[in-house]
Amino acid sequence: MRHRVRQLTVLGIVLVALATGLATAALNGVGNREADGPADTRNRVVRTSAEPTGARTSLPGLVPARGEPDLPGLVTVRPASGAVARLAGPFDDRFRLSRLDYASGRVSGVLTVTSDVSELLELQVLAGFYDGDGRLLGTGRFVHHLDGHHEHAGADPHAIERFAIVAPRRIQPRAVSAAVGVPVLVNE
Amino acid sequence: MSKLMSPRAAAATLVVLSGLTGSAVVSTAATATADSESRTSASGRVKNVIYLVGDGMGRTHVTAARQRYHGADGRLVMETLPSTGQVATYAVNESSGQPGAADFSPNYVTDSASSATAWASGVKTYNAALGVDAKGKTVPTLMELAKDKGYRTGNVSTAEVTDATPAGQMSHALARGCQGPSYSAASCQNAEVTGSAVPTSDVRVTPIADQIARNGTADVILGGGLARFDAADEAALRGQGYTVLGSPASQTVATKDDLAAARSGKVFGLFNKGNLTIEKYKRENPTSVQAKEPALPNMTARAISLLSSKARGAKGFYLQVEGALIDKRSHANDAAQALEETKAFDDAVKVALDFAKRDRNTMVIVTADHECAGFNIIEKGTYTNAEALTPPANVDSGNSANNSTPGRPTAGAKDPARSSGPVNGAGSADPKNFAPATFRTPDDPAGVRDGTEDASLWLSYLSGNHTGADVPIFSYGAGSKGLEGSIDNTDLFDVVGRALRVTG
Repeated sequence: MRHRVRQLTVLGIVLVALATGLATAALNGVGNREADGPADTRNRVVRTSAEPTGARTSLPGLVPARGEPDLPGLVTVRPASGAVARLAGPFDDRFRLSRLDYASGRVSGVLTVTSDVSELLELQVLAGFYDGDGRLLGTGRFVHHLDGHHEHAGADPHAIERFAIVAPRRIQPRAVSAAVGVPVLVNE
Repeated sequence: MSKLMSPRAAAATLVVLSGLTGSAVVSTAATATADSESRTSASGRVKNVIYLVGDGMGRTHVTAARQRYHGADGRLVMETLPSTGQVATYAVNESSGQPGAADFSPNYVTDSASSATAWASGVKTYNAALGVDAKGKTVPTLMELAKDKGYRTGNVSTAEVTDATPAGQMSHALARGCQGPSYSAASCQNAEVTGSAVPTSDVRVTPIADQIARNGTADVILGGGLARFDAADEAALRGQGYTVLGSPASQTVATKDDLAAARSGKVFGLFNKGNLTIEKYKRENPTSVQAKEPALPNMTARAISLLSSKARGAKGFYLQVEGALIDKRSHANDAAQALEETKAFDDAVKVALDFAKRDRNTMVIVTADHECAGFNIIEKGTYTNAEALTPPANVDSGNSANNSTPGRPTAGAKDPARSSGPVNGAGSADPKNFAPATFRTPDDPAGVRDGTEDASLWLSYLSGNHTGADVPIFSYGAGSKGLEGSIDNTDLFDVVGRALRVTG
């Protein structure tokens, strides 16, 4: 299977700035975009090149995504030192997390997709890292992406992903705990 | 793409051939077919098209389901449709040109996204692409064109409605994994096609759920995938006049009772947070939450009712119906459920055909997007496993003319270049998991049970993924002659587009 596994980092300070918006997002809204708002704040999603006749490329009222997804609990959870907390997400009934472990700025675990799996197309595990007061310092991500040239996973009823996410270097000295959740999961 | 005659010529031909068609089918269908075609031929078009897709349903799925449920001398409903043929399903590689172009680069095995784009938009594209060609250019879908021309539109599936087959009619995405509720670069972008990441304001990287909830392409949307939608999506749907069954905002799934009570012309109903549930589980657990999901024939009947009642006096309707779990259970090499889901799909075909016979102005098309898993019917006791540790030699020492090319020179050794070995999922080390599935049929004596050596229907799989085999197509109504013989999946765009007069 050819897939790209990457770890992405996002500045913690940006997350703090987004905290207000995230706190008001609905659980299943998974807030990397705003809910439809007043007309004067709305943007339109439009295709950048000329629209072909008939294709619907304009989506009134939808604010484009601002970046990688977050989960509402990211800024409210307060994991104890050395602990790994769980962040609620839209697909929590489709997988099981086990062997969660935090040590020295690194969180790891095993994710088992429990819903019907012929192949795991997309998975993102989001990790938040916290200081001793439970404040969010920054995030990291584990990404599984199955591209169009893949070999098939076969008839495995469960897809298992072992993940490890390392805190951004600049926050590692202060990070003492983590929280993990899944904002992106696509399997068929 | 089109190798077909003009609509006017096709109509004239249909008048000539209608009697021949009738003689080839069961009497009731034959009569209705002749009536339907003579009436609609006069106008050269049909008012409605119902397009039913058995996802992953190859020729063997149809034959095995026939034998399983009706015996060797029986027929599935889809097999009574008068026009038959086979469809080539190949995809192309990223950035490929269309067939005939200098940069044409085929991929012999398609996925559901590429196949859906082929019939919905008439172009070959790469696996994972929806509503865009292989170079990433957005292309309109039949459902969009039909909607723009004043047709009522519906999209029904037993999968998440953001999954490839339904999404192929109602979205444009560089990557089928961009389903929502959230955008992520890995799941939505494809820089190999676009050169670099495109802005998130580009519809091609907008989560499919966000598109479906806002583009109004389908008037009736029934299926699974509630977890892909959120409160903002529900507000957007209600703002367009949809009756939303259940609630994306609260993640409350809709039920078959909700669907039965729906009266609005525009209905959005998702009955599971993920894919819908297989029929076997619902039958054996009648008090479960899942048993409150409507079956595919129920959704099909309700969609037709909602679309046709509004369509009276209007232009007509275009409805796509997908039996998605045929494919999903075939990936799992689960023959029992693949067959039962094929039966449920065939029941949906009956609903559509019964309507078409009454309406006499409706084209019904039944086909598949691709074959799944190399399904085959084998003779009792002849099972060999291509993935075995010790595969048989494919050379004939007595007559070298019989040898395969390329040949496997010796028996008892797996060729690592051609086989992934016995690993085909959990339990792969257990030889009994590779035994053929056996099923009783109506031809068997009483007392013969499924799973025994006495059962007459022996089934095997070659893989856990799609194959490049052509798929069957059955059709009924004016214009269906264009779907006979060997066609390409992009031809479906031309035939349906002409039947509805929404394409050139």
